[in-house]
Amino acid sequence: MQMPCNRLRARVARSGKEFLGISGCVAFALFLYSCASIPTASRDALAANAAPMRYSIVSIIHGDADYVFHDSLGVEHIADDDALAKARTVAEQNPFAEAFIFHEIPQQHFLVFFPLNDGEFYYYRGGRLIDSETYSRAAGDQRFASELALYDRFHVAEQSPQTRFFLYFGHEIPEFTGYGYDVSHPERMFTINDLAEGLQHITGDTARFDLAVMSTCYNGTPHTIAVLAPYARFLIASPENLHLSYFDLHPLEHLEIGLQNTDIGAFAKAFAQNAFDTLSANVETTITVAVYDADRTKPFLRNAGAAYERTMKTIATLTNVPPESIAHCDCGDNAAYASKGINDGVLIFYRPPEFGRAKDITTHSGWECWKDKVWQTENKQLIEGIQK
Amino acid sequence: MKGTSMSARKIISLSIVLLAVSFFSGNAQADVKLQGYFNSAAREVKATNDPAQKREILNNEFKAVSGALTTVESMPQTTDGDRAGIERYKSALQDNQNELNGTNGYARVPDGQLNAFSNYVVQNAEQADQTITISVVTLLLIIIVVILIAR
Repeated sequence: MQMPCNRLRARVARSGKEFLGISGCVAFALFLYSCASIPTASRDALAANAAPMRYSIVSIIHGDADYVFHDSLGVEHIADDDALAKARTVAEQNPFAEAFIFHEIPQQHFLVFFPLNDGEFYYYRGGRLIDSETYSRAAGDQRFASELALYDRFHVAEQSPQTRFFLYFGHEIPEFTGYGYDVSHPERMFTINDLAEGLQHITGDTARFDLAVMSTCYNGTPHTIAVLAPYARFLIASPENLHLSYFDLHPLEHLEIGLQNTDIGAFAKAFAQNAFDTLSANVETTITVAVYDADRTKPFLRNAGAAYERTMKTIATLTNVPPESIAHCDCGDNAAYASKGINDGVLIFYRPPEFGRAKDITTHSGWECWKDKVWQTENKQLIEGIQK
Repeated sequence: MKGTSMSARKIISLSIVLLAVSFFSGNAQADVKLQGYFNSAAREVKATNDPAQKREILNNEFKAVSGALTTVESMPQTTDGDRAGIERYKSALQDNQNELNGTNGYARVPDGQLNAFSNYVVQNAEQADQTITISVVTLLLIIIVVILIAR
């Protein structure tokens, strides 16, 4: 009598196990599906059927460090999350653009030992989100190997947009040394040359970005601009500190209107003016927003290059001194750089800090240099004057 | 003597808690906590209309953080690199304090600009984090001592 019951129980148990097994498989399949991006076939079909885009916007947002700031009301913001939201709004508000957004986030671990993906990717086309997925930044030797692989996967090579933008948000990109930029991976090296290598891959051998925006501190330097100039016609950067509220991106919305009756040079100027105005209304510290015309700055960069490289080499030998702790100065205050041509091809929007020693410094050349010991000795009187 | 051992015990207990929190929440959080301290003071400044009180809040803030920096700087385990960073931080704070009070060649911050000045202090501290290098452990110690002094 017990047999059928046992059999029934066994069947129920087995069917229960089967049910659990099938459910598990379904759940796992759904999990895998949810992790996967759009299948390649449908993505290719989408790209093939898609109308050519007039504009291309590539954004890299570094979030693997401390990016917390407080606004004037005391509200805490996480700068990279703010930048991501703004970049996504720009992508959504551009019906004639393709937008690639890479968000580099801190490395997290599952059960302490298993590293999770530390990058988020969004691809927009015609104002619509086509794909979003996470990725691992560890792949490949190049700093941006993973990002470039995603770019290649989604970029429609046959279509060449009329106007191309590159945006970078993060801390100052080092000109040398370069360890410790990623808090999760302090052993990884990252310098401005690594970024240039990435831009070279995206632009190919001939084309350049029309505008590259460096929303970082202290990247308006002769070396940084010289390294990036082959890959961008115009560059916007801050020669001094840039508050983490970063540059305002509103002018990039609806490029079909913003760029309708203007050239990229005038657009860059308007973008910088708007960024400067927004920062001026919210920030009490120094504000410097500079527009560099890559071709017109070449003569100055040639003149200043040797002195700048010499200083960089000297500083790079100070192995026990972190580069970020070495003070910067306006190149215009240094005789080695204040040569003819320093003002050619650069447009600076500058406001001194509202408080502090530097509040009476009324001008800035638009170029930032390193304060080396030679400069400090030669300009002892100037430094003492500022300190008084 | 008893007070000293109590403080030492408090420092050790808080160190363990904060280091554990730091380990699990990511090292980058340490300087965020210090920024939060400056931000709280700025909020207090804006909450009062009395300029004398605003100045007192700011002066107490500078005193607490400078005291914490000096305490941590004198600890034997603080590295030379961190001491250099702490010295720069102290110098920046001293400049802020001089300007607030109109000492050491600075013009005194006018009463009507104290709210803006408190924002400047917060923003300066946020930017200093990018240029002044202090290790996470030392930063945590500074926060602990600030908490103890502010109590």
